[in-house]
Amino acid sequence: MSKRYGVQDVLRDVALEVPTGQVFGLIGPGASGKSVLTKTFCGLVRPDRGGVEVDGQDIARMSEIGLHAVRSRFGMQFQNNALFTHLTVAENIAFPLRRLTDLSDAEIRVRVEERLERVGLAGFGDRMPGGLSGGQKKRVGVARATVNQSPYIIYDEPTAGLDPVTSQKIFDLLRDEQRATGNTVVMISSDVGGLLTVLDRVGMMLRGKLIFHGTVPDARSSLQPEVKQFIHGETEGPL
Amino acid sequence: MIRSVCFNIGHGFLDVAQQVGGIAIMMVRIVSRLIPPRIDMPELLRSLYKMGVQSLPIVIVTALLTGAIGVIQAAYIVKRYNAYSMVGAGAGFVVVRELGPVLIALMFSGRVGSNNTAELGTMVVTEQIDALRALAIDPVRYLLVPRTLAMIFCMLVLVMYGDFSALVSGAFMSWAMLGVDFRLYYQGMVEWVELWDFATGVIKAGFFGVVIAMASCYYGISVTGGAPGVGRAVNASVVASAAGIFVLDFLVTNALGD
Repeated sequence: MSKRYGVQDVLRDVALEVPTGQVFGLIGPGASGKSVLTKTFCGLVRPDRGGVEVDGQDIARMSEIGLHAVRSRFGMQFQNNALFTHLTVAENIAFPLRRLTDLSDAEIRVRVEERLERVGLAGFGDRMPGGLSGGQKKRVGVARATVNQSPYIIYDEPTAGLDPVTSQKIFDLLRDEQRATGNTVVMISSDVGGLLTVLDRVGMMLRGKLIFHGTVPDARSSLQPEVKQFIHGETEGPL
Repeated sequence: MIRSVCFNIGHGFLDVAQQVGGIAIMMVRIVSRLIPPRIDMPELLRSLYKMGVQSLPIVIVTALLTGAIGVIQAAYIVKRYNAYSMVGAGAGFVVVRELGPVLIALMFSGRVGSNNTAELGTMVVTEQIDALRALAIDPVRYLLVPRTLAMIFCMLVLVMYGDFSALVSGAFMSWAMLGVDFRLYYQGMVEWVELWDFATGVIKAGFFGVVIAMASCYYGISVTGGAPGVGRAVNASVVASAAGIFVLDFLVTNALGD
């Protein structure tokens, strides 16, 4: 698929298959098209050319109404957290459950408390998002993305702004969740070291192109200069 | 030089056409979500409280001062022509037909419209609108429909409260400055001011509610350029609302006549 904003090509002939039931990671420098690419997966961005197939359906040409059914199978954590500032932390996490399921208030409360405990924010339910630190907001975003137990989950920078220990804990948590539910996860993170510890497969984006796609050992041993430089954090190289 | 002037004029026209077209499309989308009417009640109630109940104090203060200032301005002519029995009629006519709806609409636009634009704009730049769409929730139905309905309803109710407050303060000011007792003020008012005059003001308030809702929602939802873009959108929303209020005031006043 390809996507252009104004005169800038943000996605250029990207061809990618995310295997079901695996954790797939996208790495690459800033503004390389990672977030736009993941937004095409649930129809938030439509490609100008090409298609996006989810469960055998091409969602690139679906109407907004048609996309609702597709999107209800996705959980998404956004780069900017995208927490609803007029709702409390608990209401934010409960939001997908209230809107997309028939669960009772009591069941929703139990699920929300379990999620809060899981991301290390037990007792934070009544706070407003504005009163949380950057890391806490990230964790609320992760809790909201996973509360619905969707078959597909997208995490966009789930550990940005967190200290290394908390970052690794979040990565481990996301990996454990995925193992328990068997869902398909796509993750973007600038913390390449932490990210590679939890992935099954990885792709690297550069200036709108997918320049690498393979397993984690393949990525670590890649001799492709851009991939090698980015993964090993070298200052010398083509990037 | 000429080419540059032509370019700027053409660019300006295109810009206005794009904004008017954008507002029209948004309006159609909002109306289409009302057929059949499936309204998000918690969001509607929250909007009604925030936009209506919390605006009441400032609207009443504005109206009280408007009524009192009207009498202060009229005092000279009232004394000169000994027209004490006409104070109630004059105040009532001016307040319910014109000043009440227009001033309250401008106040409402400054307080509620700008806040709505800033809130929606912030939701756009912080990806909250994308988050709603990702959760299979239609942002038009969830955000724009309740806010539009709430703004129209609040304008209608606030203008009624405002009219009453302005007339009461006018009565007190007439008594304090001109010695006009309340009965004379009231009699003059009911003799000259008809129910239709009151209805004219309320109808105008409804139109003003629509224009404030459309401008504030449109500029909020189409924010680009991060936080500075939100500031620009709020500015554009307040200017467009004020211009829309005066244009509609002229058109509705002409259409409804005497």
